[in-house]
Amino acid sequence: MQPAPPNDPSHRPLFTARATHAVRIALLGLGIAGSAAAYTTYEYFHSPYWNRIGIAPDQPVLFSHRHHAGELRIDCRFCHTTVETSANAGMPSTQTCLTCHSQLFRDEPMLRPVMISAEENKPLVWTQVATLPDHVHFNHSIHIAKGIACASCHGDVTTMALTAKAHELTMRECLDCHRNPEPHQVPASKVFSSRPVSLSRDAGPTATSEATTLPVVHPAPLTSCSTCHH
Amino acid sequence: MSEHCHKPIGHDPGPRRTAEFFPGATHWPADLSRREFLQLMGASLALAGLTACGRPTQEKIVPYVIPPEMTPSPDVMWYATALPWQGYARGILARSVHGRPVKLEGNPDHPESLGATDAVTQAAILSLYDPDRSAAPRRAGQVATWDLFEREWSGRLPEIKTRRGAGFALLTEPTTSPTELREIGALLEAWPEVQWFQHTALPRFDQDGVQSDFDFAAADVILSVGSDFLFHHPSSLRFARAFSSRRRVENGRANLNRFFAIEPTFTLTGAQADARLAAAPSRMPALLNALARSMDGSEIPASFTVDEREFILSLAAHLAGGRQKKILCIVGEEMPVEFHQWAGVFNRRFGGDTVNHTPALRSDGAPLCRGGLTEMVAAIDAGKISGLCILGTNPVYTAPADVEVTAAIRQVAWTVHLGSHVDETAEHCLWHLPQSHFLETWSDLRAYSGSATLLQPLVEPLNDSRSTGEVVNFLRTGARSGAYDLVRGTWRRDNDNESDFETQWHAWLNRGVVDATRDVRSETASKSSPVERIFPVLTGSDSRGGVTLLVRADASVSDGRWANNAWLQELPRPFTALVWENAALIDAALAKRMELQNGDVIVCEANGRKLEAPVWILPGQAADCVTVALGYGRTHGGETARDRGFSAYRLRTVANLWQQAGVSIRRAGRRQTLVSTQRHFTMEGRDLARMTKETDLSRQPESRNPASLFPSWPYESYAWGMSIDLSTCFGCNACVVACQAENNIPVVGRDQVSRGREMHWIRIDRYYTGEGASPRVVHQPVPCMHCENAPCEVVCPVGATVHTSEGLNDMVYNRCVGTRYCSNNCPYKVRRFNFLDYRAPAGSPVYLQTNPDVTVRERGVMEKCTYCVQRINAGRIAAEKENRRIRDGEIRPACQQACPAEAIIFGDLNDPQSRVVQRKREAISYALLGELDTRPRTTYLAKIVPADVATERTIPS
Repeated sequence: MQPAPPNDPSHRPLFTARATHAVRIALLGLGIAGSAAAYTTYEYFHSPYWNRIGIAPDQPVLFSHRHHAGELRIDCRFCHTTVETSANAGMPSTQTCLTCHSQLFRDEPMLRPVMISAEENKPLVWTQVATLPDHVHFNHSIHIAKGIACASCHGDVTTMALTAKAHELTMRECLDCHRNPEPHQVPASKVFSSRPVSLSRDAGPTATSEATTLPVVHPAPLTSCSTCHH
Repeated sequence: MSEHCHKPIGHDPGPRRTAEFFPGATHWPADLSRREFLQLMGASLALAGLTACGRPTQEKIVPYVIPPEMTPSPDVMWYATALPWQGYARGILARSVHGRPVKLEGNPDHPESLGATDAVTQAAILSLYDPDRSAAPRRAGQVATWDLFEREWSGRLPEIKTRRGAGFALLTEPTTSPTELREIGALLEAWPEVQWFQHTALPRFDQDGVQSDFDFAAADVILSVGSDFLFHHPSSLRFARAFSSRRRVENGRANLNRFFAIEPTFTLTGAQADARLAAAPSRMPALLNALARSMDGSEIPASFTVDEREFILSLAAHLAGGRQKKILCIVGEEMPVEFHQWAGVFNRRFGGDTVNHTPALRSDGAPLCRGGLTEMVAAIDAGKISGLCILGTNPVYTAPADVEVTAAIRQVAWTVHLGSHVDETAEHCLWHLPQSHFLETWSDLRAYSGSATLLQPLVEPLNDSRSTGEVVNFLRTGARSGAYDLVRGTWRRDNDNESDFETQWHAWLNRGVVDATRDVRSETASKSSPVERIFPVLTGSDSRGGVTLLVRADASVSDGRWANNAWLQELPRPFTALVWENAALIDAALAKRMELQNGDVIVCEANGRKLEAPVWILPGQAADCVTVALGYGRTHGGETARDRGFSAYRLRTVANLWQQAGVSIRRAGRRQTLVSTQRHFTMEGRDLARMTKETDLSRQPESRNPASLFPSWPYESYAWGMSIDLSTCFGCNACVVACQAENNIPVVGRDQVSRGREMHWIRIDRYYTGEGASPRVVHQPVPCMHCENAPCEVVCPVGATVHTSEGLNDMVYNRCVGTRYCSNNCPYKVRRFNFLDYRAPAGSPVYLQTNPDVTVRERGVMEKCTYCVQRINAGRIAAEKENRRIRDGEIRPACQQACPAEAIIFGDLNDPQSRVVQRKREAISYALLGELDTRPRTTYLAKIVPADVATERTIPS
């Protein structure tokens, strides 16, 4: 077989060397851009903005946990009455607000919606701050009983002028604790204390170091699917 | 002739569903090029990813303005009340979550419930949310208001008052409600000329004002003549509990009773008999006469068959056993009155104290009542009635064919109908008024045993409805009083101190039973029947050739009153496993003679009336008997009720309500598809549902598990398991509906069931064994077995079904991608797949019934029995909060809680004292398909068969 003559037009390269080079750079660029887009998307969907962390939704009343729970030191259970007995923590009825506000600040414009609710017998409609998907069956009472502080999931509400979500509340956060609850537990006396207990794993040891007696937890069923999904 | 028999095959009377796909989306486009196909696929793939995107929702929280009385947990409240069962009370506890009634359970304090329920009670909650319930009064077919009705009545009042009620009639169902009867009594007292009639299509539970009560726990031998006391009786739950106490093995011993049954068609009760004789009604007198004579040593006539002879001799041997044994006889309500007299003699001679007679409680024989439909129609025809109030009954549909009730009602100038639906009767009345569901109004009722229960509402009426008591009271007074005041008025004595009464009232409401010492019933002495000890000679009914037509209430929809309840419609009927329709049940010999197969339509003809019905061949049916169920062929009364099956009322006559001889049948020459969930009834030589002779109760069990190289998995805390007793299960289906209500199981409709897509998590398999005209029946409830070596788990590609630390076989809905490999690999076929979106349409009130503790599944997701894991979790949380272990019996799955026979026991296998462990230790405990080494956690106790009545012929060894 004979080598083809170099100037045979059928054997000229289809693309010039520069064009090939440009395509290679473009391909690399596309890869980088793709990765960047994927990373950005991931970050975006885990961002505080997307998960509404630190963003307080509009509420019918400009209620301040900082004032009530922080400055006045009203116990969580005064309003969230069923947190120790029921799956739901319970939201205060209008009557609960009126325990104090039938006397205090009753003519303030800020409290108008509460007064209207009481007068017209129409409930206040709040927007949920910490939400779990419908296929998750969360029970407040058992977490309280086992020494998981309110602040573990809800953050330090005593510093929130308007209440906002403090954690993503993803399944990863649930499982971090369900796999190894002890670092996240506090003694019963501190469950309702406002000090935030971080959900991250490395904060664990500090939580236990000051603990005296922690509630007994049987961790075996905690990682079974049907414990939360049924 | 029934026009409903002409439904085209494939007509789907399923539940209403929202359009799940775009129009045409399920059809393959006719001319799709390759390029278009790739475009569509690419776009679908790209868009599919987007469905995962969504910001966390922000839901609304609506707290109370003024909270209700506080309890430890205001989310969930339980109320003691009662279900009206043909006018009798069945005590229940109703669960209400956030103000929504979601589940009914038995009331352990109620004498007729003892904590158990039946299928109808479980399904009654769905009727509360029935979207077809009538929402507003109607006048002449147009929507009207109660105000208008009240004004119209007030206009008529002066005339009625002056005529002392002449020309005015009241038609009600018989009831035990003290308040309703007090109101009717007051009305009749005020206007003595008012004519009160009562009508029900269902049987009376008393004989001439005397009702009989039976102690099945004490009876050593029971003879049932066509009775279905375990299933169709106001006391069936109590009877089932007592009866099953004598069929159960405990620690290798059983104090078995002997149960004999003569019946023309299978009842759930008769199927439990140790010896059962399938006898046509015309044959029964001869059998009972021969039995009576055989006690005096007479020979059995030579004309008797071997089966009949054996049956009589075996029973006579027990009777000859004499005084030590307590032997009782119970006769079905559908049987002729002479049979009841015969049984009266029998019980006086052999029954001892196991039979007790008390005055009837229901108002069937009330002295002020002028009769039934026949008398009412006669009065109307005589022109004596110009105003008629029909309260809570549907005579146009349920009247026997020879009572021209429709024409009569149309003759009456002013007619009112109070009912839950705009039914057949409502269509012919001037006024239709919506009737309240029993969970939304105050009332009271008596149980068969006499104790009264206050019915309390769980919700405000969902529609603009009123109760029967309220309406009767309004008719008399012309002024409106609430049901609450009426019921309190009944129970309050004149000399009552206000605060004492309040305390009492709350105690009664709390317990669900009125204190007997404070009962308002005036005790009348029991009518003493003549102390007859000589058996009457029964005369046979005429055998005019042709077949005998037996009419029975449907096991699910009864006389049609539950026809709009989709749970009951889709519940497989006993023996036939038919759903959504009725059929004419015939015996195999007749089918062979007439060359009939399942689904062939026959024409039944009697007295010039015709009925077309598809046949279904039933083993154990007496020769030449055709059984048809009431409750079908409805033309009104809701989407679910309408246009299904045929109306057996068309052949019913006043003289022959339950059985009619001399009915001619012929082939109609066409077929109709019938949908059944179990078309196979033999075990093909395998021992799926085992039977054991009484003498083998303590025989050492075979090795339970085949050997394995792998060590078994350790369960350190709890290990859940279940044991199901085949001796006591009688196939009542209560567990199936209880599971459906608890676990938000959807209804799929007739068409989907015909494709094998029914969704029940627990099914009751029924097998026939043995030769002869009356085979032995075994009912076997089959839920998920929660296998230790679960075949489903190893084939799931996404880990959607996995084992928990307590040995449950979890189904994780949000992981499931719908491959259905698990279902393919399950040897028990207990996994259910959502082929379509079976959920109720958005906005349907049915959604209000859903249990918030259980996820509602959508299309493409596999589901199955979870051992009610939500209840396990709730039990574990309750125990953990108190830092204790879960107590035995603290957690009961819905099926166990509902079971009247206590056939299902659930508990911790790690607790050697638990009831489930005790049961599993019995020698007769076995695993279904145990040879596959799936090591199921649900095991069975074999059905015990007494040694002396069981012949080798009927027990496969």
